[in-house]
Amino acid sequence: MNAVRIAWRITRLNFRSQLEYRTEFLLMVAIGAIWQVSVIVFATVLLTRFTGMGGWDSSDVLLIPATRMLAHGLFVLVLGRVHGLGRFIQEGRIDICLLRPIPVHRQVQLQYFPTNAIGDLTVAAGLMAGALSRSHLDWTAGRITYLVICLIGGMLLEAALFTAVACASLRFPAADYWGRWLEELLGTFGSYPLNVLPKAVGGFLTFGLPLAFVAYFPAAVLTGHGHDTGVPFWLAAASPLLGVLAYLGARLLWRWSLNHYTGVNG
Amino acid sequence: MIGSIEVRSLSRSFTTTVRRPGFAGALRSLVNPERAVKHAVSDISFDVVPGELLALLGPNGAGKSTTIKMLTGILTPTSGEARVAGVVPYEERERNARNIGAVFGQRTQLWWDLPVRESFAILRDIYDVPGAEHAARLREFDGILELSAFWDTRVRHLSLGQRVRCDLAAALLHDPPVVFLDEPTIGMDVVVKEQVREFLRHQVEQRGRTVLLTTHDMTEVERLAERVVLINHGRLVLDGSLDEIRRKFGSTWQVRATLADGHTDLAPPPGIVLLRQDGPQVVFGPDGPEAPTVHQALKAVIERYEVTGIAIDEADLEDVMRAAYAHAEPAAEGV
Repeated sequence: MNAVRIAWRITRLNFRSQLEYRTEFLLMVAIGAIWQVSVIVFATVLLTRFTGMGGWDSSDVLLIPATRMLAHGLFVLVLGRVHGLGRFIQEGRIDICLLRPIPVHRQVQLQYFPTNAIGDLTVAAGLMAGALSRSHLDWTAGRITYLVICLIGGMLLEAALFTAVACASLRFPAADYWGRWLEELLGTFGSYPLNVLPKAVGGFLTFGLPLAFVAYFPAAVLTGHGHDTGVPFWLAAASPLLGVLAYLGARLLWRWSLNHYTGVNG
Repeated sequence: MIGSIEVRSLSRSFTTTVRRPGFAGALRSLVNPERAVKHAVSDISFDVVPGELLALLGPNGAGKSTTIKMLTGILTPTSGEARVAGVVPYEERERNARNIGAVFGQRTQLWWDLPVRESFAILRDIYDVPGAEHAARLREFDGILELSAFWDTRVRHLSLGQRVRCDLAAALLHDPPVVFLDEPTIGMDVVVKEQVREFLRHQVEQRGRTVLLTTHDMTEVERLAERVVLINHGRLVLDGSLDEIRRKFGSTWQVRATLADGHTDLAPPPGIVLLRQDGPQVVFGPDGPEAPTVHQALKAVIERYEVTGIAIDEADLEDVMRAAYAHAEPAAEGV
């Protein structure tokens, strides 16, 4: 309970401190939104120029970027400070975290308030509202619950990937560049039904970097394309579980990496 | 034991890639890297008793910071053992963190974007310090470090001196029995340095805290340290008092006297040697390990000769440390 109180207190103070610099705050919110401009363009083109893609209706396809962006926004808000950790490590600030009697991962997440997440989430919520309003599906309580679980699973899966990069950064701070590449990759391919891509690419984005489990498989299961994804239906449906397992695995890797941390700057 | 530090055969090695000269060498290293083991700390042992202030000294790269990182739980040693206030720091990091305070002069433990007082309040919550105790301790620290003049300022807007004073307070707010200070006064002006020294003296003498300090500032060592551990190339060179260091590493004093006319017998008192003579001007120095202190030598010279003028030159600690570091160099070659 004390841990929650401390986390809430630090978050509140960090948020308040960001609010005090009004222009900086607004710029950060704006950059969070503008960052997603490619997805908005994609959604606009999809709805105005095409009736569908890869055998999916446009309204069904729209659920993919909406799910991915909302999961990404949640990741940025809740667990996103593991992204770009190399500099934090190189400056020796992780050493300071190791001196405090609370978990290092929690301290990393509480470094600052991610103001850009407000922009991310605003655009993502707008896109999701648009996707849901155009959807021909019957949004029962079961479907809505599954969608929410998938959003959490997608957030955890993205967090797992960036936590793995952060673990590498503990030993090789240059691994940060891989984090940027990963972000680029997720943003570029996260909006499409992966069956429109060559099989090798689709296979890589399923079994190499499990991007397909963030939004493509959940959207496929929700829209009735779950049997045409190239993986067994149960595996596509279990996407949120994979997110949870991947995140737990990444946290174990984080713990192991911290125990083998060799320090920087002498 | 609460407040004690025990270090036994502590070692820490790192594997590094040997740099080959030139561009071709760099390419060869990329294809076929040659690994080498670097011993940052090799088999060092020492104790610090509760309420003692120990200065851990050595030139840059000697292994001081690595030693402190192992004792604070940041790094795990390759071999050996350490206990801080009865806890093995790298095995029980969070428990150890409750027993220690630490200040790294070049890094802050405060929240960069928050006013200092907010950081203090967060630390109070993290360490479960009762509100009244927290307030009383802040008052005490403010009395010496004059924090209240800037504790409502965000950390990012503080000067170095202000920031380190706040870091010192932050490190001690939870009343830890053991404090680690890694170059706490680096880059400070003399006034702030003195303020920090007074604060540290107060913490050791009045609060009984155990302090392990690393610094390159020999004035700080002279003013604060009761005992010194000297390491070089990761090896312990000396563990003793400042007097022992002075005795061991080179001539530490000279007595220059002007003798009255008619002195023919210049046989110096025991433990003293005549270094130079130029007419009535003579210079004496210590002779061997049983040499007297400078004050004893002064008294002996005055008693033995009729002098018309006398002065003493004492080598400052920086000279002594330079000699000590140079003395330790040959051992380093074997590392």
